[in-house]
Amino acid sequence: MEIEGYNMPDDLYYEENHFWVKEEGDLLIMGMDDFAQALAGEIVYVQLPDDGKRLKLGKKFAKIESGKWLGKVYAPVNGELVGVNEELETNPGLINDDCYGKGWMYKIRPDDKGELENLMKGREAVEKWLLAEIEKYAEE
Amino acid sequence: MESKYEFEEKYREQILKCSRCGFCQAVCPVYGATLRPALNARGKMLLLKEVMDGKIGLDDQLIETLFQCTTCANCFHNCPSGVDVPEIIKAVRQDMVRAGSCHPAFEGMNEVLEKHTNIYAEDEPEDFERVRNRKAEYVYFIGCVGSYREDEPTMAALDLLDRLKVDYTLIDEVCCSGVLEDVGFSIKEHLAEKNMALILETGAGTVITGCPYCFRTFNDKLQYSRLREAGVKVVHITQFLQDFGFGVKTDKRVTYHDPCDLGRHCGIYEEPRNTIRKIATDFVEMPDNRENALCCGAGGGVRGAYAKNSIAMARRRLEQVEEVGAEIVLTECNSCVHNLANAKLRRQKFRVYSTTEFINELMEEAE
Repeated sequence: MEIEGYNMPDDLYYEENHFWVKEEGDLLIMGMDDFAQALAGEIVYVQLPDDGKRLKLGKKFAKIESGKWLGKVYAPVNGELVGVNEELETNPGLINDDCYGKGWMYKIRPDDKGELENLMKGREAVEKWLLAEIEKYAEE
Repeated sequence: MESKYEFEEKYREQILKCSRCGFCQAVCPVYGATLRPALNARGKMLLLKEVMDGKIGLDDQLIETLFQCTTCANCFHNCPSGVDVPEIIKAVRQDMVRAGSCHPAFEGMNEVLEKHTNIYAEDEPEDFERVRNRKAEYVYFIGCVGSYREDEPTMAALDLLDRLKVDYTLIDEVCCSGVLEDVGFSIKEHLAEKNMALILETGAGTVITGCPYCFRTFNDKLQYSRLREAGVKVVHITQFLQDFGFGVKTDKRVTYHDPCDLGRHCGIYEEPRNTIRKIATDFVEMPDNRENALCCGAGGGVRGAYAKNSIAMARRRLEQVEEVGAEIVLTECNSCVHNLANAKLRRQKFRVYSTTEFINELMEEAE
């Protein structure tokens, strides 16, 4: 779906810090949403921790940087990092070019997929949230 | 005949002395990463001669070449004709800004430092779990990169100072703004005044800083002369630490990256090594070390304005870490730590630390 010019696909879960999550078999794939990549500007660095790293829901597990911003990546669920998009090591701009496709960031094995229900999904919830975010950042 | 540009008034003779030998190409980090002659000192001197001859103007077309230089001074260090390229480039940048041509990242930085306390326009620094502005023997001045981009090395440096029972305080520091002079602008007087007032208020006789850039700014710049006149010494943490014993050692292979701002610009090579040799039994040098050290690519504002090339330069430096088989690369500049850590590839298993962070980790493990 498009909300105020930002592409926010309906079939994804969204975490409040502007990361999207989708299921892929037993695993989850995570990336940055269109609003955040536009706000951040050109991404120059994405931290890619080692596989096996334990992820704790709500806790920062990686850093991401653009020319003007240092952001934190928070774990959307409890689980384990089982893969990263290694293309981002030499081409972090993929996040700006194709944040839902080639710019995916992390693969997670969740302890409990049920925790996805804590995230936002569906037109109504996502639209309400994003409109508030757009206003918040417009004021800053 | 008077020149329309100040850089020509000051440096015409030097620019003409460039014999186009290209020795600078071999050591220039920007040329090494891009292979573009216009981005190397020789290319810059050729272009500036064209400007002096009136064939081209100092305008936007020259932004990329004249603002993409880390001012690492490796060219100057290797120039048989003694052309002081970094000083020439800084002077040219000032002329370009006066002429209305400047890289937007640096224009932005100048505006940010009018309104904010740091180059990132961040409102809330980490508090590092310490009280600020108290009376103490030393002030620890962190610098912008350490405060807002590399908080872990900073926390480790502070933990280490606590372990060594140093009586220090943090202050509500603001950007030393030294970088502005290098990118065409000037140090912000109001920021310098704030830093000096806060330092003097603590009663400290010495400022310790982890940032070589701040170290140079406090020691050399006119805007900070009041500090020197008050008898306050400013030391880099590597100078401060070399007299301490730590009681810990590592048998991992360790190497040291000389930051340009500490090394070539300040001549501080041995103090960091004295400290490292106390804790590392297997210390090795990279092929290009001390005054020949290869720049990490972050300096002169290049990490902010040309991040991709900046990280590419850091990657070249890290190849030398691999070459010597080091498991740990230490350095003592937060900008170098930041750029090298960002550039490190996942398959490269060595780790990048500030020296203080590494020593602190060893002491923590020994507890």
